[in-house]
Amino acid sequence: MKRAAIVLAAVALVAAACSSGGSASSQTSAGAPVHITLWHGYGNVIAANGQTNYEAKSLNDLVNAFNASHPDVQVDAKYVGSNDNAYQKLTVALQGGDPPDVTYQYGTSLAALADAPGIIDLTDTVKGDGWNWNDFYPGEQAAATVDGHVYGVPALVDNLAIVYNKALFDAAGLSYPTADWTWSDFAAAAKALTNPATKQFGLAFPADASEDTVWHFDAMLWEGGGDILNADNTQAMFNSAAGVQALTTLQQMAVTDKSMYLDLQNTKIDDLFNSGHVGMVLTGPWALSSYPDVHYGVQIMPAYPGGSHQTISGPDMWVMFDNGDARKAATLEFMQWFTAAAQVQADSMTSGHLPTRASVVAEPGFVKAFGKKFPGEDVFAENLKNVAKARPTLQTYDQISQIMGQAIVKALLGQADPKQALDDAANQVNQVLAGG
Amino acid sequence: MATAAASVRPPGRLRRAVASDHVAGWMFVLPSVLLIVLFGLIPVVWGFVLSLQKAGLISPSRPFTGLSNYQHIASDPLARTAAVNAAYYTFLFVPISIVLALFLAIALNQKIRLIRFYRLAVFIPVAVSTIATGIMFLWLFDKEFGLANFLFSKVGLGPFGYFDSPQGAMPALVVMTVWGWLGFDTIVYLAALQGVPAELIEAAAVDGAGRWSQFRNVVLPLLGPATLLLVVWSTISALQLFDEVYFVTHGGPLNRTFVPVFYIYRLAFTSSYGFSKAGYAAALAYVLFLVILALTLIQFWLGNRVVHYSS
Amino acid sequence: MSIAVTDRTAPGAVDTQTLPGETGMVERPRARWLPFSPWHLLLMPTAIVMLIPLVWMLATSLETIGQTRHFPPILWPGRFQWSNYTATLRAAPFARWFWNTTVVTTVVVLSNLLLCSLAAYAFARIRFLGKQVTYFLLLATLMVPLQVVLIPTFLIVKRMGLIDHLGALIVPNLANVFGVFMLTQFFRTLPIELEEAARIDGASRLKILFTIVLPLSLPALATLAVIQFLWTWNDFLWPLVTIINNTNAFTIQLGLQNFQGAHATDWNLLMAGNVMATLPMLILFLAAQRWFVRGIATQGLKG
Repeated sequence: MKRAAIVLAAVALVAAACSSGGSASSQTSAGAPVHITLWHGYGNVIAANGQTNYEAKSLNDLVNAFNASHPDVQVDAKYVGSNDNAYQKLTVALQGGDPPDVTYQYGTSLAALADAPGIIDLTDTVKGDGWNWNDFYPGEQAAATVDGHVYGVPALVDNLAIVYNKALFDAAGLSYPTADWTWSDFAAAAKALTNPATKQFGLAFPADASEDTVWHFDAMLWEGGGDILNADNTQAMFNSAAGVQALTTLQQMAVTDKSMYLDLQNTKIDDLFNSGHVGMVLTGPWALSSYPDVHYGVQIMPAYPGGSHQTISGPDMWVMFDNGDARKAATLEFMQWFTAAAQVQADSMTSGHLPTRASVVAEPGFVKAFGKKFPGEDVFAENLKNVAKARPTLQTYDQISQIMGQAIVKALLGQADPKQALDDAANQVNQVLAGG
Repeated sequence: MATAAASVRPPGRLRRAVASDHVAGWMFVLPSVLLIVLFGLIPVVWGFVLSLQKAGLISPSRPFTGLSNYQHIASDPLARTAAVNAAYYTFLFVPISIVLALFLAIALNQKIRLIRFYRLAVFIPVAVSTIATGIMFLWLFDKEFGLANFLFSKVGLGPFGYFDSPQGAMPALVVMTVWGWLGFDTIVYLAALQGVPAELIEAAAVDGAGRWSQFRNVVLPLLGPATLLLVVWSTISALQLFDEVYFVTHGGPLNRTFVPVFYIYRLAFTSSYGFSKAGYAAALAYVLFLVILALTLIQFWLGNRVVHYSS
Repeated sequence: MSIAVTDRTAPGAVDTQTLPGETGMVERPRARWLPFSPWHLLLMPTAIVMLIPLVWMLATSLETIGQTRHFPPILWPGRFQWSNYTATLRAAPFARWFWNTTVVTTVVVLSNLLLCSLAAYAFARIRFLGKQVTYFLLLATLMVPLQVVLIPTFLIVKRMGLIDHLGALIVPNLANVFGVFMLTQFFRTLPIELEEAARIDGASRLKILFTIVLPLSLPALATLAVIQFLWTWNDFLWPLVTIINNTNAFTIQLGLQNFQGAHATDWNLLMAGNVMATLPMLILFLAAQRWFVRGIATQGLKG
């Protein structure tokens, strides 16, 4: 980990140089430094098993570097528990009128937070020089924007790709997935990898009807040229031919071929893959560390004939709250520094997070070094350019997702015809959209 | 404190004694009552106010909308699903857990070796946290890889779907929760059994009653109060089922384990059904409360007609 | 009222070892077709079913990370990796969480024993204005789902400045309706003659409660203590909401949930934490088993 430390030291030096040169404004509040609080869910730096948690270490190192180089601002990074509870914890804090200055939130929560008292509208801020807003991937920008207003800065980005077990492919005499695979190649391989006698499945799929179920479908829907909603978000579109095609593909694997292990609670997929019971999973970069026992490969998503290879990204956001002018200014100063390309790159190399900025991925040699340190992550990093669309940032999105999730699982359980399931769901979604 | 020493009490003194009883009574109950009012009653009233509002947890504005939250319940398909599931779960859970507990308690009341070990074994699941229980049962009941289907396959049964099938999820949840709470019910019965005076049974035996007759006519009636307590208690718990659903099934598959408190939690604390739903959640919670209250009163009313209290 | 148990002695006098329900039922000579009691045929499998999870939890807590990922799950590790426990404890906050939970649970249990005894005695024995109404109102709160009161209670605790402090877990639970209800029912079953005699001798209500009623009520108090301990120790939702950004004030259950989130795949450590979190409950039950069973036997199951 010496390398990361060196990168970090360099980053800190550069940052120190920048700030001492250009931030006269922040020197105005002489005297005691402004304290701001940042909530995150990355855990403690030293994990319970005594090993270093590099996600937390990376964040803490960056915060410490900032604090060291900015004596007028002190950032207090607090681990407040799992990100799954981040929204709930924030709502509780908002009830009490005491939100943190910065908090990590799932991108899907952003539309709800747009109404929150004290949330900082970043629309004009991020247009400023130094933010280089357009360097964030378009999918991230869209996810950060609600009704034309920017309320978040991308904190973490991911996407879906195929992760496959090389040993199982070898044993079945199959060649590894290629970048020009179609979904029928995928389904055929899944079928060939399935063996009921040894309880081996071609694919394990999250079927808990949650957003995890839905976004897998979304990517396939987009690949077929479909959309979730129409352009002005007034009408459901996912029951188009592209949607039916996507759900039929999934249903065929689940019901006809029985090559898909349906995880209805969405708790076992990683363990099943890691123990060699599953040939392929469609998952994101975060999952790779759960597969220490498997020699795995990563490949981008299959496409439909004539369609493009797309994927989906679920960017998470840093969301900021206004706790008075001094703290607000300090918060924005910190966040601009924290999410700048140099820090994004340092974080990626330490924690294995995909870079949130296109310029980092484009930097010569980065992808190679990244893939060398975190095998397979390089494919995910390059796959970011295949993120063409984003889910709608609507307050009603979670409701829409719930309805779609139920329809998808219904089809996967063989209890409904894909078209019928999607049509029913579309009717319900239209009611939600009409009702507001 | 040489008051009330006489057996002949003058009227004035009696009145003073009664008055001092008012003061003493309130002094005794005041700490508890204040705490319970502050953290029990006031929130209940506050929650009711919330149920009349269109309120989210974030938005500061909370317009009053009258009874519209309550009116909406009638036409909400998810509320109906939750009600049906709760009824189904309660219908399975309450009788199964109580009958099993009675059998186990009779067994555990025997004077045999290892009895302390058996008692401990039956109680242990109560002490295990829901998280651990949930993780364990997910694997145990896995359709493909679980121990349960493995064992059933040895005797030519299954495979069963358990949590992975719409039909099996609720029964599996019942099995899991019965497992987790059986120890509590059993101990209540065990205690009641030990409260049965030996003389009564001896008297019955002297009268020539067989063992079944002893049990049927002497022991069983004396278990009435314990049974009533357990029926009421289990029904309340069953209708408030939450932790196991939260940790294990998330209401699925296809909403087959989607129960009222889980719905209330999701409405109020997540964005699953949109925002500004805390008021609606409060209304649902109130309806649930009234249902539980009504059921409890009915159970006590029916119970008191059947159960014989002994003293 | 067909069977009147008039000669019943003071509660607690029922000896667990006498097992009256059983002595009567084995009057008839039993055919000896087994070298042991046939009850073992029922109880042994039941005990095994009940114990499998604990064994599994214990086993997993002693496995290597590789073994925990094995599929199907290994039921017993060959070699015990005790270092899982030190690793779990070395995650500094864990010992702290353990301590926090102990403090909260101890204070809540003791406070409930005292406050509920006081209130229950008054409800059972003293006539005072508004008693019935107050008692009914308290009972009504017993039936309210926690989710109804969660948000308002949070706001009250917040106003008291207790968020992120152990106080948030203690203060709202100092007196529990269940405890008041249970002890009231129990006190009503106690023979009143002793108290009346003491009253005539001039003893105060308080003195009667502490010198006569409570000593007779040890089984019920032990039962209440165990139940309250169980609730407080295993409570999850309330700590989740009130301990927001102070990991130093986490309880064990909250810590375990965090553990699960942060180390979803470190099952051995998760289970080691679970074993440690469960252990106090088991020890308490072992210690209180006699009192506990008797306490429920003699508590107010009589309306």
